[in-house]
Amino acid sequence: MKNVVIAGYCRSPFTPALKGALARVRPDDLAAQVVKGLVSKSSINPDDIEDLILGCAFPEGEQGLNVARLIVFLAGLPNSIAGMTLNRFCGSSMQAIHIAAGAIQMDAGEVFICAGLESMSRIPMGGYNNMPNPALYKTFPQAYIGMGDTAENLALKYAIGRKEQEAFALESQKKAYTAQQQGLFADEIIPITGKYGTVDKDGCLRPESTAEGLAGLNPAFQATGTVTAGTSSPLTDGAAAVLICSENYADAHNLPKLARIKSCAVSGCAPEIMGIGPVVATRKALQRAGLSLADIDIVELNEAFAAQSLAVLKELPIPADKLNLDGGAIALGHPLGATGARITGKAASLLQREHKRYALATQCIGGGQGIATILEAL
Amino acid sequence: MNIQKVAVIGAGVMGASIAAHVANAGIPVYLLDIVPEGASNRNGIAENAVKKLLEAEPAAFMDKANAKLISTGNIEDDLPKLADADWVIEAVIENLQVKQSLYQKLNTICKAECLISSNTSTLPLALLKKNLDDSFTRRFMITHFFNPPRYMRLLELVSSPATEPSFVDSINQFADIKLGKNCVTCKDTPGFIGNRIGIYWLLYGLLDAIEHGISVEQADGIMPSFGIPKTGIFGLLDLVGLDLIPPILKGMKMALPQQDAFHEVNHLPDIVQKMISEGYTGRKGKGGFYRLNKTEGKKVKESISLATGDYARSDRADLSPLKDAQKAGLQALLSHPDPVAQYAWRVLSHTLCYAANLIPEISDDITGIDAALRDGYNWKFSPFELLDQIGVPWFVDKLKSESRPVPPLLAKNAQMYSTSSGRLEFADLSGHYHPVRRAEGVLLLSDIKQQSKPVLENNSASLWDIGDGVACLEFHSKMNTLDMDSMALINQSIDKVNKEFKALVIHNDAENFSAGANLGLLMKAIHDNDWPAVEQLIKQGQQTYQRLKYAPFPVVAAPSGLALGGGCEILLHCDAVQAHAELYMGLVEVGVGLIPGWGGCKEYLRRCLSQPKRPGGPIPPVIKAFQTIGLASVSKSAFDARELLYLNTHDGITMNKNRLLADAKALALAKDYSPPLPFTYHLPGFTAKVLMDMGIKAFRLLGKATEYDVVVSGQLAHVLSGGACDFTAPITEDDLLALELEAFVALVKQKGTLDRLDHMLKTGKPLRN
Repeated sequence: MKNVVIAGYCRSPFTPALKGALARVRPDDLAAQVVKGLVSKSSINPDDIEDLILGCAFPEGEQGLNVARLIVFLAGLPNSIAGMTLNRFCGSSMQAIHIAAGAIQMDAGEVFICAGLESMSRIPMGGYNNMPNPALYKTFPQAYIGMGDTAENLALKYAIGRKEQEAFALESQKKAYTAQQQGLFADEIIPITGKYGTVDKDGCLRPESTAEGLAGLNPAFQATGTVTAGTSSPLTDGAAAVLICSENYADAHNLPKLARIKSCAVSGCAPEIMGIGPVVATRKALQRAGLSLADIDIVELNEAFAAQSLAVLKELPIPADKLNLDGGAIALGHPLGATGARITGKAASLLQREHKRYALATQCIGGGQGIATILEAL
Repeated sequence: MNIQKVAVIGAGVMGASIAAHVANAGIPVYLLDIVPEGASNRNGIAENAVKKLLEAEPAAFMDKANAKLISTGNIEDDLPKLADADWVIEAVIENLQVKQSLYQKLNTICKAECLISSNTSTLPLALLKKNLDDSFTRRFMITHFFNPPRYMRLLELVSSPATEPSFVDSINQFADIKLGKNCVTCKDTPGFIGNRIGIYWLLYGLLDAIEHGISVEQADGIMPSFGIPKTGIFGLLDLVGLDLIPPILKGMKMALPQQDAFHEVNHLPDIVQKMISEGYTGRKGKGGFYRLNKTEGKKVKESISLATGDYARSDRADLSPLKDAQKAGLQALLSHPDPVAQYAWRVLSHTLCYAANLIPEISDDITGIDAALRDGYNWKFSPFELLDQIGVPWFVDKLKSESRPVPPLLAKNAQMYSTSSGRLEFADLSGHYHPVRRAEGVLLLSDIKQQSKPVLENNSASLWDIGDGVACLEFHSKMNTLDMDSMALINQSIDKVNKEFKALVIHNDAENFSAGANLGLLMKAIHDNDWPAVEQLIKQGQQTYQRLKYAPFPVVAAPSGLALGGGCEILLHCDAVQAHAELYMGLVEVGVGLIPGWGGCKEYLRRCLSQPKRPGGPIPPVIKAFQTIGLASVSKSAFDARELLYLNTHDGITMNKNRLLADAKALALAKDYSPPLPFTYHLPGFTAKVLMDMGIKAFRLLGKATEYDVVVSGQLAHVLSGGACDFTAPITEDDLLALELEAFVALVKQKGTLDRLDHMLKTGKPLRN
């Protein structure tokens, strides 16, 4: 079978929805600039690209129609590149990578752009026209459960206290701020230019966070709950993209090989504890890679909620020094469709930076799913 | 002259809130103040003032977006910008030198057609313009606003012989039509009209209460019997600020002629002196005659003892001994031996005599004084109207029996106002009557009621002929609640107007258009388990409002103040609304455990569905309706009612309440009228109900919705979703009315609704069960 590699990764700055610097940028324009930036950075011949596969959790309005195809046009790429929009909620753009990898391995193309996009400012979570199925709601209401409530459920199930969640959130903030101060995001960020100026810096970080400050917040979802805005990932605007190609193509064209895709998996679980999704997905991916958790050197575990991440860590004991080295979504933000491409691309570039061998990128998905990708440095 | 740009100099409370109200009129306005010494932000004072305005309670802005019309700056850098202003209002410190030096600068900067006015309340015009030349005095006058300028409808105008009349006319027009003010021409006398009498009244009330051992609650409790706002004497003093009294007294002492009766009340009691020195300056200070004591985690309203200066828990005065006298009328009340009644007599008789003796010194005739107290102090009956209510001959006799001098005006006339061949007239000093003049474009229902008999009438409503083929439907039940009689008269009016008129206006000149349906009727039916009666109540309202909507003539409503529940629903059924800017409109039924049942859901949903700027798809309009009705949203102004979609963009807004009826009448006389076509609704059905149920469930988990909120919202969601429909198959207005009825009846059968209704009727506040 052909080897598939990640040959490039970049993203837009991530900024808070509605009040951030990207709130007034159209999501299709946002993603087009990231895709364009990826292509020009990698100096690849665009004519070789087979498809632009883009994940988006609420593909409507300005990120509606088949926005992937529209981004091909907006990015000034050749018409010969196809475009596909896919939706696996938060796992969307990691799924885009899996699809590309599968396609390469079955000789259905050599080079793919796998991207993700979400403007949570401009398209509300749930979309403009959420129309739940009344019959399903009656028999299985958890199919539509709110994400905050799933985090509360995990906090209860795994007895994760508020203090523990807040310590986790604070740590994420610290790691992200340190990374930002050290300029560790500079390589991956494509500055975004809009009607209102250029944005080149992440905007969600709250370096001023303190344990006392977090302890003072009101619960965000349930009056008697433990999950607050401080221990949840913020609503975020952002886009991310990775360049996926066969190892042969990368070698022939002198492309950087950040990592090889070793294995991948998706899984399902009870929707009311969707946050535990990474556990089974990771186990499946490890098994397919013939590895054990202890073999993994670098982990990007998406932080939808502190309670959710901590629940996963109870099942998957990952040492803190391997986890989310530059901070996670609680600090950086979680533009749903874009996160999968970010953490997979990030895991690949961390393998390079840290000179490590194996990396895991995994995330939970609304509706009760998990997704995982295992990478190997070359 | 067309006033398109205004400037206010001085960003204190008055200056800033005048600027806010100019912005409410949609007029750009500069707001400048000094640069404080060593300030890093040279515009800091004005900028802070705007920030405070945005949080002011009651709200200074009718729409917070109006704040963008205010350009802030400072006097040192920005005066040259005032070259394009059409009106500059000076509201700086009451210091002659400061004012005059500012005037000189303004006179060189402002264009020749720019009017400059002062908002002074203590300095005479003659002094302000002293030593200034014609180029200034020709365009200078006093424009004295009352606090808070958005809500107080009085504007006192003082001009000098040097002021060019065209300036006075322009300001009059602008203040009347754009700012909604009732302008009263005053003479250049101390305190002008409103404060001359108002402050006399306050001081008399204060001193007399101290002298006769009347408590602040007793004093304030008795005043509303005479149409005086419930702040009474001491509540108002707290509101105004006790620290303002000494300078006013000082000014009055110097300026008033020696024989003026004001001198008798012109001294500051020790207790007030002490309160001021200790920071008890009223609501803006630590408290005043009343204070909120928050020491034990709870807020307790306390009041001061005028005898000891100590605070104690404030309880409403027990006026029960006066109950019968209050019912028997003002004469019985004023002659009652109870000390509180005697207090009222002394305070009011002296105040009314003082007012009567000030003609023509401060106003050529009684209408100026009446307008000032009505619009500047919110007296329901202004002094001479109150005298008529009491009865002038009785009042005069009582003065004589106490060996008090009788003011010549009262000696000459048995009535202050009378009607002659349908026209309202006022008395003068020589015993003659003159017609009360109304400005062009002012049409008052009260005048029409004086002049004619109703076309139709019952206990709750009347129909009046307001000329030019237009009829006016007036509600006049208590709080203008709507009952069976109101519905009957609407139906009769529709028939009548159809035969004999061209158009119908729905209007009344009460403070509030309508507080909603009469809940007492509903309660009775519920207590009797008389469900057919409940259904009948709903159906009759629905049918009546539908008839109104599809009547073959234009129906225009002209509401002011509160329009809640059923009173809001009738507005939603009119062809157009000409709203007074101060309109507080809302579908508030959920507060009493109900949903709008007289077509309110149907009409509001139509507005949400037909709003051109709404997001696409079947869900957003339904959610919008669910949020607005589910949160019982009430507009904070007519502009806000537009934002909330209660009003359409083609509905008009009138700033001056006195012009509301005329504006509505003009709108109703639109040519080529044809009734609206029935609306067909494409609604999502159960899926939307599920979505709304999920939303309310999340709210409940968050502790923001009560247990019974979930039940009421569920019924509301059922109606707004369209029930068992599919969005590909349209449903009709009747289908929605049937859903409203079904939900309404389901709710009234539940204890939760009954508890809410009971609580509202008993306390006037919603129950959170």
